[in-house]
Amino acid sequence: MEETKTTNNLAIPIAIVLAGALIAGALYLGQRDGSTTVAPQPGQGVAQGTQELENMAPITNDDHILGNPDAKVVIVEYSDFECPFCKRFHETMNQIMEEYGPNGEVAWVYRHFPLEQLHPVKAKTEAVASECAAELGGKDAFWEFANRFFELTPSNNQTDLDTVLPQIARGVGLDQNAFANCIASGKYDEHVQNEFENAIATGGQGTPWSILVTKSGQKFPISGAQPYSAVKQIVDLALQEN
Amino acid sequence: MLFSALKRVFKHPTYVLFALGVSATVFAFATWLPNLTLIVEVMGHPNASLAQKLELPIALLGSITTNFTLLSASYTILIAILFGVNLALIVYLVRNRVATLKQSGTTAGFLGVVSGLFGVGCAACGSLILTSVLSLIGAGGALTFLPLGGGEFGILGVGLLAWSLYSITKQIKNPLVCSS
Repeated sequence: MEETKTTNNLAIPIAIVLAGALIAGALYLGQRDGSTTVAPQPGQGVAQGTQELENMAPITNDDHILGNPDAKVVIVEYSDFECPFCKRFHETMNQIMEEYGPNGEVAWVYRHFPLEQLHPVKAKTEAVASECAAELGGKDAFWEFANRFFELTPSNNQTDLDTVLPQIARGVGLDQNAFANCIASGKYDEHVQNEFENAIATGGQGTPWSILVTKSGQKFPISGAQPYSAVKQIVDLALQEN
Repeated sequence: MLFSALKRVFKHPTYVLFALGVSATVFAFATWLPNLTLIVEVMGHPNASLAQKLELPIALLGSITTNFTLLSASYTILIAILFGVNLALIVYLVRNRVATLKQSGTTAGFLGVVSGLFGVGCAACGSLILTSVLSLIGAGGALTFLPLGGGEFGILGVGLLAWSLYSITKQIKNPLVCSS
């Protein structure tokens, strides 16, 4: 009787400790193994160590940069045009740029992270299409394309490419034939793939995946579509740097 | 039976506070999980004021509306509430030295706690635990083939916690008996 009581009383604390150990173990494994044999998840990537952030490809003139390229704070976003969380975060980033862009404090760099496993064919095609928009219409056309795309499309691989892409091309003022040929040529496939691989190398396991870079080079990882207030907090902290 | 047992436990404000505290912790953990590195970095940042260190985690709680689907937000909140209530009931049982916890009740509590944690992990970070474990055997991609992309585990967690809750309240209501 006494033995049964002792066993039962111990079972609950043991269960709690075991469950805690399970979580801790999973966290450790999740953070240690950045090689990701797992499918990237939209919106809800796992927190990563900061060392992998150093793998971020340098920001160059070939990047799509909105705002002052010499800004004190640069937010590099790896995004997927079919991800609903990227759509939300795109609005957040537009808000950030409205507040910090005009005085040149913050710049936004857009890179591609199309999740083929979740959004087959479409996400990659749209990434390529945005590059074609930039080629044919210049840097501003890229941002016009991105803004309009997120406005018009439902996400989750439900976009009707045959309708939406020509519609956006018309709206942005691109030569529609040249735009269609550019997409079909596959000339930007490698570029998109390189950015995808760079996102993984920096620890991105889901979209949107962003890295905030300060003037001194310190990097803050932002995983998922975090609210405006949270992103603003990090920007304000980064701007305090001398 | 369920409500009278809950009433018996939660007439004590300590248990109400305990359940609220646990639920809030689980909820916060779920929303912070994708950005633990960021939080740690900001906490240790020499230029960050105390206010900034406190404001970021609070702001990140808002990700329940921006970084979760309606389904995942729903089961994350449910799991947090059920987990807090469950743990309060377990503590009540232990503290009141119920001598004859039936083995079935204990097992239910055990499964509920563990499955709930699995569920929280699933909700917070795209099936963190499962992807971490499965990645070791290279099978994590299988999650993308699940209709809810791993959300099934969150729903399962809610179910098991509810079952666990029912079992524990039954233990609280049952009169003590000597089984041997």
